[in-house]
Amino acid sequence: MNDLKTLRDVLVENLERNMMPFPVDKGICTGWTRDLPRSGDTIIYTSCMYQLAPLFPMFNRFLPYLSALRSLTPLASKLKPSEAQLNRAYNVLRKISNALTAKGIKLAYLYDDEPYSGALLLELGFLDEFQEYAKKVYGRFKERGVKRIITVDPHTHNALARYSEFFSFNVEVVNYIELVEPREGDANVYTIHDSCLYTRFLNLREKFREKIKIKLVEDDMVTGKDTSFCCGGPLAPVDFKASEEVAKARAKSLSRLSKNLLVQCPICYVTLSPHFEGEVKDVAEVIL
Amino acid sequence: MSWETAVERAINNNVPRVYKILREHPYILDLAKELREAKLKVLENLEYYVDKTLDSVKRAGGHGYLASSPEEAREIVEKIVGKGKTVVMGKSMVAYEAGIREFLIRQGNEVWETDLGEFLIQLANQPPSHIIAPAIHLTKEEVEKLLKQKIGGVHEGSTHEELVTMVRQFLREKFVKADVGITGANAVASDTGTIALIENEGNIRFSSISPTVHIAITGVDKIVPTLADATKEVLVQSAFAGLYPPTYVNFTSGPSSTADIEMKRISPAHGPKEFHLILLDNGRIKASKDPVLREALLCIRCGRCHLHCPVYRALGVKWGDPPFTGPMGAMWSYVVYNDPKPAMYCAHSGNCKEVCPMRINIPRVLEYIKWKGNRQKA
Ligand code: SF4
Repeated sequence: MNDLKTLRDVLVENLERNMMPFPVDKGICTGWTRDLPRSGDTIIYTSCMYQLAPLFPMFNRFLPYLSALRSLTPLASKLKPSEAQLNRAYNVLRKISNALTAKGIKLAYLYDDEPYSGALLLELGFLDEFQEYAKKVYGRFKERGVKRIITVDPHTHNALARYSEFFSFNVEVVNYIELVEPREGDANVYTIHDSCLYTRFLNLREKFREKIKIKLVEDDMVTGKDTSFCCGGPLAPVDFKASEEVAKARAKSLSRLSKNLLVQCPICYVTLSPHFEGEVKDVAEVIL
Repeated sequence: MSWETAVERAINNNVPRVYKILREHPYILDLAKELREAKLKVLENLEYYVDKTLDSVKRAGGHGYLASSPEEAREIVEKIVGKGKTVVMGKSMVAYEAGIREFLIRQGNEVWETDLGEFLIQLANQPPSHIIAPAIHLTKEEVEKLLKQKIGGVHEGSTHEELVTMVRQFLREKFVKADVGITGANAVASDTGTIALIENEGNIRFSSISPTVHIAITGVDKIVPTLADATKEVLVQSAFAGLYPPTYVNFTSGPSSTADIEMKRISPAHGPKEFHLILLDNGRIKASKDPVLREALLCIRCGRCHLHCPVYRALGVKWGDPPFTGPMGAMWSYVVYNDPKPAMYCAHSGNCKEVCPMRINIPRVLEYIKWKGNRQKA
């Protein structure tokens, strides 16, 4: 198991400094759009998850050495996903944003001022730190007049959904899938890896099924509500090897169903892709 | 063959069976709901129910004890058993938690686990890997090798049936000559002092009936208000374990007795002369006072959460402090060993909370334990 105390210190330090969990070049987070206004009632909230996710496996490999090499963490800001990885992430975000706009939603985006949600603190059980940081995030939303947040990934959505357990939080939070109109069909046949948070915590499993109007190969023991396993991603900051074991097992069972896999979360994408025998796509890439 | 293969087989055998049982016997879900309420009632006032249970055991002619720690439990057992005895044990996680078997062996007793899975891991000198299937990690081929080495008489390519027959022959003699039988208890009724035990092998019935002394050791969390609630617990536990209907349900209220000669009540008759119930605290009473950890104490040890958990599937016995593995084990490792590390391995997949008969929000309890652990470290 990694040294979580040092990880906590690093996270808290960076969140205090620039409201991001690691030292990152914010240009990576914001590069996907220039068209959206900087302020408005309703924002699309990326929490920089799709943009940074390709770097997570690298960060996670580094974590066992974090306490010894802590002085190197500022170098993380020099790391960049590859162009292909960034293009893919940007494509997902643009598709979501366009689909929301097409539904007549007047969307704003906070660009450089968009804070990270604090999901990692919550998921690692740093609840005091999460509470303190989340209040700061809420402060930022209030300052910017945000009344409605549209999330695009499960970890961010879950973190925001939990804010009101810690303090009074008066912003409407809705996931993009609840609002978009998918385009018709796709000739390919896919199987699906559901996000654990969407499925068993946020009550969005059926919403995704309803919007994915393509044929899915399912098996009660692999893609059922109670039987579909985690990708292993949330375990990576704690123990990368264990996370990989979970990912391999999950990818193997999904590979038996189809060579095309749909995922709903950027972490599932990066965790399962190296082990899945076939092509992995985000739901937004396919249905929007 | 690997853990991956063994657990995959277990999942594919067990999970569909549980769904089928619940479909065919929908009343189980109602019983589970009622059981949760009954158990909560006890956990909200646990010390009162411990006293009430011990009184009831006494009224039924037995001896009841509250052991605050494993050491105390061992001392009580030592006083009852003594030295140089033959002891047969039915499966008990709490006996494992209290280190009873090893302790009695060190005291110069001959001790045999009689549940097949427990017997195998006793021979292999390994910890249990699952609460109701402790030898889930051993394949048939490995069992064959183990038995050949340790008790002999097993030929290569033996069938499952032949392996079980060998163990049956070996243990039969131990049952007959045993002085003391030690079992756990799936539930303890506080109104009557009755313990309830479910099983399929018949070893628990044998262990609790054949020797002249029966010791049941279990956690205080197993107390339920009434004998009717204890009945619900055994039915729900066996259904969610995928073993419904259970082959045997045993209720024991005190030692055996008869009044068939001149209506004078004497003990023993065919069963034991003495019945002892040891209730182990070991952190449970403290946990019952914490509204989040209290939820962990609702666990009825059906083992269902294990087979729906991606982390257990990948890590198996490496996850948790034996005998507590899997999602329930991550909660219990903290309750009884004050170890928050297993909770850190919860990836909050949430399958466990969907399938738990007691509707324990296991990921939430584990998140709380993570928080407690992080604060300890800080
Ligand atoms: S936590 Fe729930 S599912 Fe797991 S063993 Fe206990 S009762 Fe069964």
